[in-house]
Amino acid sequence: MDPDRDLVTAAAAGSRGAFDELVRRHQAAILTLTRVLTRGHADADDLAQDVFVRAWRSLRAFRGDSTFRTWLHRVAINVVRTHQAKQGRARRLFATPAEDSGERAFDPPDTAERVDAALPRREIIDRALAALPDELRVAVTLRDLQGLDYKEIAALLDVPIGTIESRIFRARQRLRPLLESLWTTTTRNS
Amino acid sequence: MDHDDQELVASILRSMPPPAVRGDFVARVNARIDETAGWLGLADFRLWTLRLAPAAAALVLVAVLWSGRASSAGGRAAAPAASSSAATFSPASPADWQKDVTGNDMLDAALSPPGGSHVR
Repeated sequence: MDPDRDLVTAAAAGSRGAFDELVRRHQAAILTLTRVLTRGHADADDLAQDVFVRAWRSLRAFRGDSTFRTWLHRVAINVVRTHQAKQGRARRLFATPAEDSGERAFDPPDTAERVDAALPRREIIDRALAALPDELRVAVTLRDLQGLDYKEIAALLDVPIGTIESRIFRARQRLRPLLESLWTTTTRNS
Repeated sequence: MDHDDQELVASILRSMPPPAVRGDFVARVNARIDETAGWLGLADFRLWTLRLAPAAAALVLVAVLWSGRASSAGGRAAAPAASSSAATFSPASPADWQKDVTGNDMLDAALSPPGGSHVR
């Protein structure tokens, strides 16, 4: 049972109040997702807004095959990928090869480098995630940060569930040394 | 890396504090929806399809009625033309080619000047 079903029905019928409530419920999750997918790019906030604008326009096409939350994640992934494709094209057209590294708010650490323990918790995790290749980062974000199950992620990314399990396993493997400072505090607390 | 390590990394990620969402996030989303609805409404072919459907239906109806009336009027107009052509022969009239015309009539019509006086 989708907890958003009634609001979605009302919003699809044109209720802006119901849609506002949906935005409030999911804004933090979608903002987290756009931040991670763009590696903390300055556009993440604008992209999160784009996700909801796109969702509002497409709401009547939402048939309820998945939960609204899962559908919203799909919209978010599409919005970010479209944005990145546009940026990639623009960069290839106008940038010199030296500038082609992209603008990132999080500097991914070198593989040998450990994330500085003095950094706030969020920043440590952001930086560690930014060090992952795209496919691992997306999979582990959807699972561990967004709380989607394997089946939902597989459907969302259109890849077999075994591939998702493997990506999440490898992502956590790579994150382990990068999160060492948090590892000790988490172990102590648990 | 064992199962416990996997779970621990997962729990660290789950403990990530949510990002600070700006207080006016919902208002900004609404402003953008209103902003795009203005020009997007003009470009939305579905809206145009719906809006123009009655006009298109009316045009189709008018076209059907007009073609029906034209064909019946055409039928009525063709009959007198055929009957009147029996009295005066003119090779330019298509109705004349559909009835029996003798070779002499044809020659006569070809030799006669446009004014109508026959050269015998």
